Amino acid sequence: MRVSTSIGGTFVAALLVVASSAAAQSKNLAPGFSVLPKGARVVIMPTDIELFSISAGGVLEPKADWTEAASRHFRAAMLEKKQDLGLSTIELTAQQADEADEVNALHGAVARAISIHHFGTLALPSKQGRLDWSLGEPARVIQNMTGADYALFSWVRDSYTSDERKAAMVAMAVLSLGRVVPTAGGLQTGYASLVDLKTGQVLWFNRLSRGSGDLREPDKAKETLEALLAQFPGTK
Amino acid sequence: MRRLLLIMAVLELAGCAVATKIEKVDSGPQKVGERLEMTLDGAWNHFQSAQIAPARIWTMEGLPVDELRVFAGVKSGEAIDAGAPVVGGAKKIEFRAGMQPDEIVAMFEGLYTKGGSTFKLDKLEPWSFSGEKGFRFEFTFVRKVDGVVSLGVGYGTVSKGELFALLYVAPRLTFFPRNKDKVEEIARGARLKM
Amino acid sequence: MEETPPAQWRMPERFTRPETATDEGGLWALMDREETRLRRSPFLIRDAALQARVHNMVCHLAGAHCPDVRVYLMRTPFFNASMAPNGMMQVWSGLMLRVDNEAQLAAVLGHEIGHYLARHSVEKLRSAKAHSSTATVMSMFGALGALGALGVAASFSGYSRDHEREADRISVTLMRDAGYDPTQASKIWENLLLETKANPNARTPNPLFGSHPAPEERMETLAKLAQAAPGGASQEAEWNDAVKPFLRDWLADEVKRGQREESLALLNRMIARAPQAAYFFARGETYRLRGAEGDFDAAVEDYLAAAAAGGEPPETHRSLGTVYRARQQAPAAKASFQRYLELAPSAPDAAMIKSYLEEIGI
Repeated sequence: MRVSTSIGGTFVAALLVVASSAAAQSKNLAPGFSVLPKGARVVIMPTDIELFSISAGGVLEPKADWTEAASRHFRAAMLEKKQDLGLSTIELTAQQADEADEVNALHGAVARAISIHHFGTLALPSKQGRLDWSLGEPARVIQNMTGADYALFSWVRDSYTSDERKAAMVAMAVLSLGRVVPTAGGLQTGYASLVDLKTGQVLWFNRLSRGSGDLREPDKAKETLEALLAQFPGTK
Repeated sequence: MRRLLLIMAVLELAGCAVATKIEKVDSGPQKVGERLEMTLDGAWNHFQSAQIAPARIWTMEGLPVDELRVFAGVKSGEAIDAGAPVVGGAKKIEFRAGMQPDEIVAMFEGLYTKGGSTFKLDKLEPWSFSGEKGFRFEFTFVRKVDGVVSLGVGYGTVSKGELFALLYVAPRLTFFPRNKDKVEEIARGARLKM
Repeated sequence: MEETPPAQWRMPERFTRPETATDEGGLWALMDREETRLRRSPFLIRDAALQARVHNMVCHLAGAHCPDVRVYLMRTPFFNASMAPNGMMQVWSGLMLRVDNEAQLAAVLGHEIGHYLARHSVEKLRSAKAHSSTATVMSMFGALGALGALGVAASFSGYSRDHEREADRISVTLMRDAGYDPTQASKIWENLLLETKANPNARTPNPLFGSHPAPEERMETLAKLAQAAPGGASQEAEWNDAVKPFLRDWLADEVKRGQREESLALLNRMIARAPQAAYFFARGETYRLRGAEGDFDAAVEDYLAAAAAGGEPPETHRSLGTVYRARQQAPAAKASFQRYLELAPSAPDAAMIKSYLEEIGI
């Protein structure tokens, strides 16, 4: 949600905050949260992205160049977002990532729970439809290490049909006289999450799970990344 | 390992849906099976699935995070993993009357380590379960699939030849420390009908 | 098929990292990420001394390729070692438990290095793709379900028979060049066969083998290759000293596998070679947990043998107590449980055992 500055900025921001708590909270946002403070420091946790190609016979093949491209595009999109929102970002060194590993693993488990129970079909009645999960104090390990106030985690698994598979699919459709409908290709599944490092609260979460999308080319990747970062909180 | 990633991706999409559902938990005491009554104080959710039979599972934060697994009256000769899919000719884990606490704990260890996860017993002591002679145990559980280190606590007894037990497992960071007292209360409040 | 004598194989130059856009590049990058996970895994064995020992061995075997190799010891109770095209090697505790000496370990690791040096993984990926295309063509005129099946290419099991032969040939050369006795190579498969044949429900492929297929042919081939290059050390004493601190854990893992017949075959072999308390205890546990006719007697015999050998795990006495109690031999049970508590006063289950003693009475 973007804050319009055409009328007195703070006043509008206050109105919007009030308005957003009165209206139904977005599925992607924790209760009572809607915007980041301007200048907030966000550490970008190493993205866990893997892109695969599916060959004609359905063999999943890891594609390093695609994965590296996707990582680059993701970082570029984050950079854009950060400039739009006036955030400052930090990246973890490999050693820091090692030290943060248990918290990272914990986040992974919580993220899976959110994916399944908040965005999936197996809702937890006790959560009452709210995005209400927290890693707790251990998140401060990351804060102490980096001086950041928030952390952005992300995880993407994606597979793409190779040209030969596309051709095979089309042939199938033709041979079966239209009875077999070619599927677009692979699964694009993933999540991005924003965590308050002081409390461990998951402030914003988005899950992606669809049969389309493309992270390999910068222009097509932008669409996927917009989808992943949908409803990413603005700043005030 | 790659296959696991794929399975996880599919799980993300499908939400482990194999004829499962999650229901709200009523406040106040509730019957679990024929002879056990428990009061689940707190934000519990009841996960139902044939695959976990004969156990029942409750969770607060979701299945990938924490689980309270309850066995209410497992009879001698019955498997504690009766509903689980059979993988590669592995035998079912059967409870037998006459099993001592350490053997019962070994059964639970077998259940939790099926996929290659590890289980380390940290404590085993006598404990009164609804006034019956029983046991309490603590363990460390490392999940194979994602390396999350969890802590576990269990309470059990064999009453009239039937096994009753509660086991709670949650990550060692944040969740287990936060909930273990609550779980102990639930175990203390459990009542067996004789 | 004619076997190429080991002498004709030459070690290739060190590899350079492939372009990321290639299929090999994809595999490398994937294995790099896998390696990061491994480094952080709770299942990694972090003991510096053992780590250094195995790493030095691998370095020695890999010769000029030593700087490219990184070794990870994993606590997994299966016979396996694997090497990825990016130079990452995994050695599982199930393998380290089963080898009689360092030469046998060198044979297996040399075999994996052989796959690495001959770049078999990439060939395998290309082959899988090629064969799968064929499968799709067939399925167009037959079962359509095949199209939905997703296989995964980036695994390092299931090498072709030719690959396995080549890796075996290379391993003998590497062993010989590093000063190990190559006749030990076929011994491993001999030992492993003993184990797997013991299983009445033997299924193929046996998971015990990890990534390696069944071995009768290989035993013969390796024996023949070794004959052509006799000599070298086996380093039995050095290896057994190095793994002694880990035996309790690794044997406990083995018993927990629940494959009683395989465990018995393994333990019988180990006891025949070098009887010691840890082995007797593990075999006793295997019998006790199997609980077939005569097993409890056999278990007690083994527990007593462990105690006689000295240095037995305290659990030996706990298990004795368990059996005696089940047989209603109260005084014997009492003595055993007490001995357990003497040897392990702060055992996790000390409180429970004390309550058993109270039950048994004075």
